[in-house]
Amino acid sequence: MVPVFDEAGNLPQLHEELLDVLERGSDAFEVLYVDDGSRDESQEVLRRLRRGDHRVRLICLRYQAGQTAALAAGFEQARGEILVPLDGDLQNDPADIPMLVAKLDDGFDLVAGWRKDRRDGWLIRRIPSIVANTLIRRITGVPIHDTGCTLKAFRSSLMRGRTLYGEQHRYLPALFAGLGARVTEVVVHHRPRRHGKSKYGIGRTLRVVLDMFTVTMISSFSERPLRYFAFLAFPFLAASVLVGVTAPQELMGGGAEFGLDTLAVLAFMLPFMACAYFVLLGLLAELAVKASDVHGEPLVASEFEVER
Amino acid sequence: MSAATVPGASVGGESPVDERVRLDVSVVVPVVRPDSRLREVVEGLGRVLEDRGLSHEFLLIFDGIGGRALDEAKELMEAAPGSVRCIRFQQPFGESACLAKGLEIAAGAVIVTSPGYLQVEPLDLGLMLDALDEDCDLVAPVRHPRVDALLNRVQSWAFNLLMRRVLRAPMHDLNCCFRVVRREVLEEITLYGDVYRFLPAMVHRTGYKVREVRVRHRAEIGGVGLFGVGVYARRFIDLVGVAFLSRYTLRPLRFFGAIGGVLTLVGGVMTTGLVLQRFLVPDTVLYQRPLFLLGLLLFVLGVQVIGFGLVGEIIIYTQARNQREYRIEKIYE
Repeated sequence: MVPVFDEAGNLPQLHEELLDVLERGSDAFEVLYVDDGSRDESQEVLRRLRRGDHRVRLICLRYQAGQTAALAAGFEQARGEILVPLDGDLQNDPADIPMLVAKLDDGFDLVAGWRKDRRDGWLIRRIPSIVANTLIRRITGVPIHDTGCTLKAFRSSLMRGRTLYGEQHRYLPALFAGLGARVTEVVVHHRPRRHGKSKYGIGRTLRVVLDMFTVTMISSFSERPLRYFAFLAFPFLAASVLVGVTAPQELMGGGAEFGLDTLAVLAFMLPFMACAYFVLLGLLAELAVKASDVHGEPLVASEFEVER
Repeated sequence: MSAATVPGASVGGESPVDERVRLDVSVVVPVVRPDSRLREVVEGLGRVLEDRGLSHEFLLIFDGIGGRALDEAKELMEAAPGSVRCIRFQQPFGESACLAKGLEIAAGAVIVTSPGYLQVEPLDLGLMLDALDEDCDLVAPVRHPRVDALLNRVQSWAFNLLMRRVLRAPMHDLNCCFRVVRREVLEEITLYGDVYRFLPAMVHRTGYKVREVRVRHRAEIGGVGLFGVGVYARRFIDLVGVAFLSRYTLRPLRFFGAIGGVLTLVGGVMTTGLVLQRFLVPDTVLYQRPLFLLGLLLFVLGVQVIGFGLVGEIIIYTQARNQREYRIEKIYE
């Protein structure tokens, strides 16, 4: 499964490496390229690579929909029991695939790649990623170091009845772990870029932070959003109580200087209001969950028949 | 998964045969004004289609109105039974609902939408049909030269400019609703609210190819001069709504989070700065600084906006699981 966007220069080598690795393993595989509306000659290159090889499939999207959407399209069309997404820029090493798949056999549902030795610029790629990963690890409690690594392997049953949207492909391990999948990671190789250029910039830092909110909420609290909102509301409640305890006189207006009592009332009321809003929003979210069919849709870890 | 269940996908270049399609062209006319001139539409466009040898039908959808237009429609139906069909809503639902209903019963492979009068020269329908070729899915008109009042043109220009900026779609005349579009393209667009007006922009955003063709402007009924404030306000609000939904439906926190994040940041910096000043600089009195209150208020507001975004995420996660962000053009097996 390879999402491709303007990567014409890298494709031939990638394809060769992929086939080389996969042919050594078994012959029950397919290589699925998703062309995300590339503007360069990627599509022609892929069509040439595919020619006469029925194990290679190519999905062309109508317009550039983004990496998550490209992966979602691929997952939906994929026929394999195990899905291995892979970046189209050669930074992931296809040689790692057998290792990931072998790890799945140890009883895991998802094996994430961990680019322990990253070959990217520090400032715009690595530092935001380290911060985000640490936070996600803390909040979700999923011990994955590198949730943004595209290279991973997981059972296609995890995707059943689901589709990816937004930026979810970056947070698949956390998401699936929150839904009950057994998740682990292995160290994979990471190679510097050779052709083409990176499609990310510093502008995504804010997005990463926002995505973190979403992922932690969806993965750990999607059935009980009120708890998540209560968790967000708590600091505000604490601030409000703190003001109430430290400045009861000012709050009552008992002989305090004019101005100071106003400030005290506001410092008490504003966090309290924030807290109240959060609880109300949490209740709204509960309604949304109640009105949907997300309830009672447990992740099936493995299917087996009961013997009579 | 079989290819037929994937919206918009045609496997190996073969398009599935739709048995509802029996004709070449369906002309859908949302009738929203009792003074519509349906006869000239049916006769004018009918002649053009006949000359080109295209089988066609007219679907007149009455948006809850009756009166003279309905009588005229009945006469037209009697004159050409079978090729003119009428549907009347019990009450007004808007042009998008009319178009949706028309699409539901249409038998044409190509849908032409027209206002209830000949807004553009009917002969130019030929130009538009010609433009609908291999790499074009919708043809939108650009009226030129315009025959309406200068004021209208200025308004229209400003609206289109704003729309291009907000929706990021290169359309120049969205106020002219005379359009030619492929049936399967229209079926992928959710038709509601003001989408009818924004149709070329929506189709463009969905990844289809839109072409603009210059047509001769013929007449304009209604809407001369300035509209009421309410009309502008409604138009603008609709534009914001469409822009928000088309860009952020599946990532609401991006929208709310950007706004809320900035507010929280500004508020946070203001309050922390002043609190630091209170402790570092002697004789600073915090409660005499309105900025402190402003900062607190901004902070709380920002946090709330983010909260709304989170609710949006929950709604999308729970309700819109079958929304797809991509359209498959082709699968090479």
